[in-house]
Amino acid sequence: MFDTLIAGLLRGNVYALGAVGISLVFGVMNVVNFAQFSFFGLGAMLAWFFVAELGLSFWIALPLVLVICGALGLLINITVVRPLAKFLPLAAMLSTYAVSQILDNVSQITFTAEFRVFPKVLPTSNFHIGNMRFGTSDVVMLAITGVVMGVMAVFLKYGRTGQAIRATAQDQEAALQMGIPVGRIQHVAFVIASALGGLAGVFIALYVGIANPTSGLNVGMTAFVAATLGGLGSLGGAVVGGFVLGILEAFGIHFFGDTAREIIIFFILIVVLIVRPGGLMGKVPLLSTEPLTGTFLGKGRPLKIPRWVWPVAFVVGGVVIPLVANNYVLTTGTQVLIYAVIAAGFTVTAGQAAVLALGQAGPIAIGAYTSALLTLYLPVSFWLAVPLAGLSAAIVASILASPIWGVKGHYISIATLGIGTVIVAIIRLVEPQGIYGITMPKWGDTLLATPVAYYLIDFGVLVLTLVVMWRIRHSHLGKVISSVGSDEIAALASGVRARDYKALAFAISAFFSGVGGSLLAHQYTYIDPTIFTMLMSLLVVTIVIMGGVSLPYGAVIGSIILIGAMELLRFTPELRIVVYGLVLILVVRFRPGGILVRNS
Amino acid sequence: MNLSDTTTNTTKVKTMKLPTIYKRRLTAVVLVASVTLGLAACSTASAAGRSSASDTVNFGVSAAITGQYAQYGEQFKKAFDLAVEQVNAGGGINGHPVALKYEDSQSDPKQSVAVAQKFVGDTSVSLVFGDYSSAASIPASPLYTAGKLLQYGYNNSNPAFTAKGSEYQWSTSITTSATYVWEADYIKSKGVKSVGVTYLNTADWGIPAFQAFKAEADKIGLTITDAEGVLDTSDDYRPSLTKAVGGQPDAFVHVGYGPDAAKLVTQLRAIGYKGTFYGGQDEKSFDATPDAEGSIVGAQFLETSSDPAVQAFVKAFKAKYPAETHVTSFEAGAYDALNVAVAAAKLGGTTRDGILKGFQQVKDVPSVVYGTITFDTTTRRVASPKLTPTILTGGKWVEYKG
Repeated sequence: MFDTLIAGLLRGNVYALGAVGISLVFGVMNVVNFAQFSFFGLGAMLAWFFVAELGLSFWIALPLVLVICGALGLLINITVVRPLAKFLPLAAMLSTYAVSQILDNVSQITFTAEFRVFPKVLPTSNFHIGNMRFGTSDVVMLAITGVVMGVMAVFLKYGRTGQAIRATAQDQEAALQMGIPVGRIQHVAFVIASALGGLAGVFIALYVGIANPTSGLNVGMTAFVAATLGGLGSLGGAVVGGFVLGILEAFGIHFFGDTAREIIIFFILIVVLIVRPGGLMGKVPLLSTEPLTGTFLGKGRPLKIPRWVWPVAFVVGGVVIPLVANNYVLTTGTQVLIYAVIAAGFTVTAGQAAVLALGQAGPIAIGAYTSALLTLYLPVSFWLAVPLAGLSAAIVASILASPIWGVKGHYISIATLGIGTVIVAIIRLVEPQGIYGITMPKWGDTLLATPVAYYLIDFGVLVLTLVVMWRIRHSHLGKVISSVGSDEIAALASGVRARDYKALAFAISAFFSGVGGSLLAHQYTYIDPTIFTMLMSLLVVTIVIMGGVSLPYGAVIGSIILIGAMELLRFTPELRIVVYGLVLILVVRFRPGGILVRNS
Repeated sequence: MNLSDTTTNTTKVKTMKLPTIYKRRLTAVVLVASVTLGLAACSTASAAGRSSASDTVNFGVSAAITGQYAQYGEQFKKAFDLAVEQVNAGGGINGHPVALKYEDSQSDPKQSVAVAQKFVGDTSVSLVFGDYSSAASIPASPLYTAGKLLQYGYNNSNPAFTAKGSEYQWSTSITTSATYVWEADYIKSKGVKSVGVTYLNTADWGIPAFQAFKAEADKIGLTITDAEGVLDTSDDYRPSLTKAVGGQPDAFVHVGYGPDAAKLVTQLRAIGYKGTFYGGQDEKSFDATPDAEGSIVGAQFLETSSDPAVQAFVKAFKAKYPAETHVTSFEAGAYDALNVAVAAAKLGGTTRDGILKGFQQVKDVPSVVYGTITFDTTTRRVASPKLTPTILTGGKWVEYKG
């Protein structure tokens, strides 16, 4: 028991460092910074490079890593985050995701993708308490964290800049009026956060013993959860959240196994959010619109699309492309269409209800598995399985998500991320084996397994999806959902039960995610849990933001650009992801409301 | 204060101006652009087909060049390039030079199916190597089958790849079940009575491997004191490990790959367990982990083997890539795969049909992994593959005769 506690403490240490960085940036800028994840991997790789390759002493390497990460953080804030965060936190969040893609891949090109052995700079098992062995290395890490946290606490309480950081976090506008140079303060916060990310990365490498450029991703995700657990924006909360999560996770793994890790992490998160909607030490957010999306709706109006575009688009997509395009384009087209279905359905939740759910991979997976199992073990045809898959995704996801609708602000995004992750983790526990030989669609006795057939099926489903979405948007129901998204207080005051409509919007989106998942399953003929990743969820969100968060047809454009671009960029294989990230940043920079949204 | 105000204003002005210029045409532009994208992709694909079809024999490679599996993509590419160089220096396939077309799939099914279709549509490609993981390879299989293009999953140790595939899926990778049945037998033969186990909880690899190990262990009376499923994406295994060695087993088995085994063995020693570690993999991060010393695995490829074919390969590899200190079974597997494909093409012809015939007939192809490769044409796997017990000593795997 005691050894598990020690393991948890060591683990919590790293989470706490990362969480403080995330909370700090969130506090002063109101932006969730995905680039922070990359600093974990980068810190680890830089430390490896200085110590193992250049032969520097660890104590010289450590400050070097901090300086480099801090400087990079400043550069990112000046060029990408701050210009956007000022008026569109959502666009800024998307661009930090692009930045993290670029950082990871540049790091991968520089250091190669290989796992590297981190040299043992300090003894790792020279002490023991009971059965648990630990070393000077662990003690030093805990001590450094202690010192860093102590200095931070004093700095924030008594330092002039520290006080300015707190003032900015409390109320940006008021701080600005009091003569605080908010821009500079945000730079300082970003530098500190990036340096802390680098430090956490070095600790990961020390603790785990090996590192590669993407090794920070999972720790980053957990640190993010820890920051939320403690209360976003609360630094004390971040430290507490980090250690609480580390220790509970260690005990959870001891009893339920490593496979249950994600379930444990997000279960804790969701329980805490239900009991204390503002996190362990954060303030409960007052009734307010979602900070990510609510402010976003007022910023732009959709472009007017001339009527002739619709029939032309229908003919081009449904007739011209199937006739002239080769199979490669058609197969890429099927992926574009399926993601367009998922994303178009998702606009009700993300745009109209203004809940930026981050876990759509969950309902997609439910749809895929339902459809696969129905057609394999019951006499159900593909054509019936697709809507049934949507239905079961809507029902199961709604039941699982039902407790979270009282949660507010950013927390709801993170709670939905949890729901999505838990769904996939449960599938992995129950049915860890992949499913093979999923039947291909048939019409009568004809097997519809050619790229053209898949393309046309997917195209038909997309057209249906868009029609349904159009009907919903223009119905009374759609207007009520929109009212919840654009001004929740006003909606509540008018007697609209906001919670229920958010849940309904989520169920509609889950239905289309399930349909998309079903289409994927019957095309791949094989599914396993590794297909439904967090990256899949993020792709859905990115597509929606790209096209205009509340426009179903915008999702089609977003899907063409984001999935098509990955294929078009094949001419430069190594730089593919870097260029992809740059394109994403440029689009967000110049059309922050989405491609089809005019800024106002 | 003033400073930040002005910056805000300029940003707003800039972003307001741009859209007003373009707004009317935008929708039309987007539409036209998406159609042209499609057409452009068509024309490049067919142009590539025409230009290189005449003389060169093209093999496709669907692999992860970026993303989380990029490490393996890099290793495969080095070995493939070396093998192609040697084949071409020796006159190619009956005079035709061999060339490889690489496509990055990130081992993501969304991209591997697009890659598959791209290769199927490119008539100059007569065989495709890949993909790396089952989650990327198996979804692409129906497309290769429909395109009558041979999919050579040289790294697919998952038995389902060939068992559930068609006559177009072939592999020279030893199946996981065969590996771990051997492992259980071998451990028992060393007088070990009980083992603690960790295994990767992955659908396509770890779980079937562990099931094969467990079934054999039960049959021969090797006690498993505790088995913990772990994920390769985790990096803290201490909670699982303290539990797995709680019953004080004689030895420890990890069913997994190199990078996760490196983390595991380091932490296993850190919590004070001293029994033999059966596991790991000939892979750089594992080999260079100090705590991995003395680990034992059954190996297909042994860099230090005295076999002259192996020595020639290792020497050529290090000459071409002086920075590489180790040659592992990943490189060896890819190197073999190219030679098998070339041998098949020499026998059956360089068309898609010809290569399939070649695979059905080919016998005793020289191999740095198996000595020689002959297919069992019903399983489309190597007939009776053998493993050699090896131990990690001084950062190198050597044959273990203890």
